[in-house]
Amino acid sequence: MNGASVAAGPPPCRTAGEAARAALERLVRAGADPVSYLRGRRAAGAGPAVGYVCGYVPEEVILAAGLHPVRLGGRPGPVGPADSRLQSFACSFARACLDGLLTLTGSEVAGVVFAYTCDSLRAVAESWRIHAPRGTFFHFLNLPARLKGRGVEDYTRAALSRFAVSLQAVEGGRPVTGESLEAAARLTAAVRAGLGRLAAVRSARPDILPGSTFIAIARGATVLDRGEAARDLDTLAADLEAVVEANPLPGDGAGSRPRVLVTGGFLETEGPLRLIEEAGLDIAADDLCLGGRALAFGAGTEARPDAESGLGPALARLAALYLGRVPCPTKHPPERRFAFVCDEAARHDVDGVVFLLQKFCDPHAFDYPELRHRLGSAGHPSLLLEVEQGALSRGQALTRLEAFAEGLREAMEGGRAG
Amino acid sequence: MKTATMPDRRLKVDSELKRLILRHYLGAFRAKRPLTRRPVAWVTSGAPVEILLALGILPVYPENYGALCGSRKAAVPYCEEAEKAGYSLDLCAYARNSIGSMLSGRGELGGRPLPAPDLLLTTKNICGVVVKWWEVVARHYGCPLFVLDTPFAADGVTPEQKEYVRGQLEDLVDFCLRATRRRRPPREAFERRLREVLDLSGQATALWQELQVLRRNSPTPASALDMFTNLFPIVTLRGTQACVDYYRKVRDELSERVRRGEGAVPGERFRLVWDNIAIWYNFDLVRYLHRRGAAFVGETYTDAWGLYDFKEARVGDPLDAMAELYSLVLLNVGLEVRKERLFRMVRLQRADGVVFHSCRSCKTYSLGQYELARAVRDELGLPTLIIEADMVDSRAFASGPTVTRIDAFLELLSGGL
Repeated sequence: MNGASVAAGPPPCRTAGEAARAALERLVRAGADPVSYLRGRRAAGAGPAVGYVCGYVPEEVILAAGLHPVRLGGRPGPVGPADSRLQSFACSFARACLDGLLTLTGSEVAGVVFAYTCDSLRAVAESWRIHAPRGTFFHFLNLPARLKGRGVEDYTRAALSRFAVSLQAVEGGRPVTGESLEAAARLTAAVRAGLGRLAAVRSARPDILPGSTFIAIARGATVLDRGEAARDLDTLAADLEAVVEANPLPGDGAGSRPRVLVTGGFLETEGPLRLIEEAGLDIAADDLCLGGRALAFGAGTEARPDAESGLGPALARLAALYLGRVPCPTKHPPERRFAFVCDEAARHDVDGVVFLLQKFCDPHAFDYPELRHRLGSAGHPSLLLEVEQGALSRGQALTRLEAFAEGLREAMEGGRAG
Repeated sequence: MKTATMPDRRLKVDSELKRLILRHYLGAFRAKRPLTRRPVAWVTSGAPVEILLALGILPVYPENYGALCGSRKAAVPYCEEAEKAGYSLDLCAYARNSIGSMLSGRGELGGRPLPAPDLLLTTKNICGVVVKWWEVVARHYGCPLFVLDTPFAADGVTPEQKEYVRGQLEDLVDFCLRATRRRRPPREAFERRLREVLDLSGQATALWQELQVLRRNSPTPASALDMFTNLFPIVTLRGTQACVDYYRKVRDELSERVRRGEGAVPGERFRLVWDNIAIWYNFDLVRYLHRRGAAFVGETYTDAWGLYDFKEARVGDPLDAMAELYSLVLLNVGLEVRKERLFRMVRLQRADGVVFHSCRSCKTYSLGQYELARAVRDELGLPTLIIEADMVDSRAFASGPTVTRIDAFLELLSGGL
């Protein structure tokens, strides 16, 4: 669905070996153009794929049903068919999402799964339910907004159970069992672990692995066959870790660039991140839907061999995992996310924070003043930029980013002088 | 837009409504004084307020306060206060109005904002926005907050949803007692009081439904202005005797109008249905339609308050019935159900067309309207009009293009196009 955004040439990343370069290329290409990837996969005789629209859809369940999960992230660029379905004040990402769905031909995915998060994505699900090609699988994973409190875990487990059962309606879908779910959980944990290693490289040496490339890789890991993704991430991480070890000091100019944390929702393309880097900033950490928040799962990410077996306990563990992750702003209470962003800013020693706010995204917009205040109190200046149709308004955004970078550099130099 | 060419057929009972509104807000301020102290809760329009009333807590509605500010054309400065504090211009204007008034310490209640809450109750059944909005308020006042999480009831309420919501309602009782530092009343006494309140809510709801039935007459005895204005008691005083008493008077007045053959709109030519919240600062737009013989015979928004039918809650397990009812409110059901309800209203009220207020602030209500409008045109063969505006932020409204579209719509209704 992101076909329009395929970047010319390989993304910047200082790999050493051929295998790592190939892994990088596979991941980035799949993420940049999932539609072509899915068509190629289908042509090669692979099993059916199921698309999902939100990071709260546990791909573990789709994998456990013997299906291929693929995150559908919206079609960047001017709004197309969604324009006649959703008003212009619907969240920019929601419109891009619906646009992407409406331009699918029907052969790429066997169905689409939505999760209940915000009002705009609920409207996308409702619209898609009306316009999806006949026979397309549809599931609305009706998750709670609360992360704790009476009945939350039981209700979440019941919602996941309904989801698991529903997938049997997809042609080729198998009954989800405790064993298949645990195996899927191990696989997704391996993917997250690989991305976690890359996030560490990005933080240590953004000149070797820029933040924009990291997100492009993370995007690819939501599209590529998960076994292949886990292997590629492992190869790439090992290679980049070796590059860092062999080059302990940053090259010319690198290291003097201010480090920033980027926070926001889902980005349709890496364009806004590249612009931040172009303005002279290094992205050392993030709180993005595809990046930091997708990795910030708490206890339970690792498979536990001593755990109780069976589907019920496996679903309960999955429910606890998703309720325990660092939440997106649609979930209540918001404190864990606020703490996560502030802690990450401190842990990665960033000089400032860039808010990338999807135009008309209510949950993020409501959290912005409080988060800005907390970051400011902790000594992290911030800049707010609005993303619309997958992009920033280039001229204006670049000027503001350059001014922000300049201010951060002056503060860094002042700090060194002091 | 000229407005003074038609006599305003206001209901006589409106003067009493003004007293009710005044008494409600004065009561809220009195509740903050030491000698007349009573816990004040800020609640959403989808809150199970009967539980609070049964526990002696006074509910106050920031959304209703937004409507009040909007109808006085006073909301924009408060919205701007919120924007100065970093809240995006794209956020819900009710929320910006409330936050701006709260942050500035100024308001439309004798110059004051809403009295500070002792506790907060928000409900996901109307939108996700109110959860975020109430989080802001909770941080500002350092107030305990309860989020009633009602999963989406697209096609109905599943058993696990009902159980989840019911459990939260039980928790809500404990929360209210903790927040107000009160002892738990004996279970029987609490349930008895809750049933009494539910009975009053049910009586008011039944009367509200009667009003909607009376509007099926030609000419209709009440148009959108009457109904939007008269929403206040069913929203804010639901569960009280004052609410029931008031609607009896409204019902009697409308019945009298029907008996006399007197319509809300002189020379009624077209019968319309309105979808979405009112444009509180611009009732002139509705008057413009009235002057051209177009009367509103139903509104999905006002109709929604007739859905709180507590018959089962009064006889069976009250929390069980409330869990279901509060999950099935208009904005928590799927488009297909909304369409059925809209079509039913169009048929029963014998409407000739539907006006959709595409309200920039209210995404849960507005997104999906394009589908509904298409369905009205294709399946019912009726014309539709979409008006782009906002419920209280007048900056989002352009009068000229709207009036042009209204004129074209009326021409279509006349068979002129």
